[in-house]
Amino acid sequence: MPRVQRSADVNWSGNVARGTGHITAVSGAFTDLPYTLASRVEAPDGKTSPEELLAGAHAACYAMSLAGELAGAGATPERVDVRSTVTLDEVDGSHRIVGAELHARARVEGMDAEAFTRLAHAADEGCPFSALIKASGTVTLNAEIEGGSGGD
Amino acid sequence: MATERRAEVTWSGDLMSGSGRVDSVSSGAIEPLEVSWPARSAEPDGKTSPEELIAAAHATCLSMALSHGLAQDGHAPERLDTSATVTFQPGEGITKIALAVEGRVPGMDDDAFRRAAETAKENCPVSKALAGVPEMTLDARLAS
Repeated sequence: MPRVQRSADVNWSGNVARGTGHITAVSGAFTDLPYTLASRVEAPDGKTSPEELLAGAHAACYAMSLAGELAGAGATPERVDVRSTVTLDEVDGSHRIVGAELHARARVEGMDAEAFTRLAHAADEGCPFSALIKASGTVTLNAEIEGGSGGD
Repeated sequence: MATERRAEVTWSGDLMSGSGRVDSVSSGAIEPLEVSWPARSAEPDGKTSPEELIAAAHATCLSMALSHGLAQDGHAPERLDTSATVTFQPGEGITKIALAVEGRVPGMDDDAFRRAAETAKENCPVSKALAGVPEMTLDARLAS
């Protein structure tokens, strides 16, 4: 498959404490999202941050990876709900992304819980973002199935 | 103090023909965004993708780290324009991130700006989290 490129543009004005930035996706999916230091490390106050965008990337990446694994096992999911929570913390005086926590819930008819758990872990292995973040932080996965056989 | 940011995605159907939505983010800043495999691996057709969100996160992080570094050196920037381009090879993963930044910084020369940008690239938390990407490049210049 050919390689794919995706870009985003950001402009920033001023110093970090009092300045403001704006984020635009080149696809056109979002334009001029504002962000500030306060929205990143304190209360978000309706503004996004790098870590929130990574949480969005991670949840979207994992959802696709899980749909791929399930379909590959002959069990197309009716619905998959994924939440990713990315944590930024201070480590030795500097900010670090220390981990991401995935919660997934899938509605799949006729699959047993054990098989589902195996595929849910394979989806984590296969999601490029999970693979990257594991080099410097932890990824935890909590996956549940609805409508499967042998589980509840 | 640790900061948590959360995003939620819903997906229906298989990978190739199904579709998903980034439904809600903890800040509320982003309206629901559609995602699909064709939009991720071929033409975006107005839809975002994990790689585009990573590009947005990285450009955002670099801008902040650089504005902080410059201000600490006594050269708070008037403006920084930053872009990140993420290359995704299906079946392989993210193979490259190309960062570019153009700054308007009164009283600073090109070399000092490039050094500050390089430091920001090394130290911003998103760069560190994505350190496993095989190639990460930076093109930094002052606006003429």
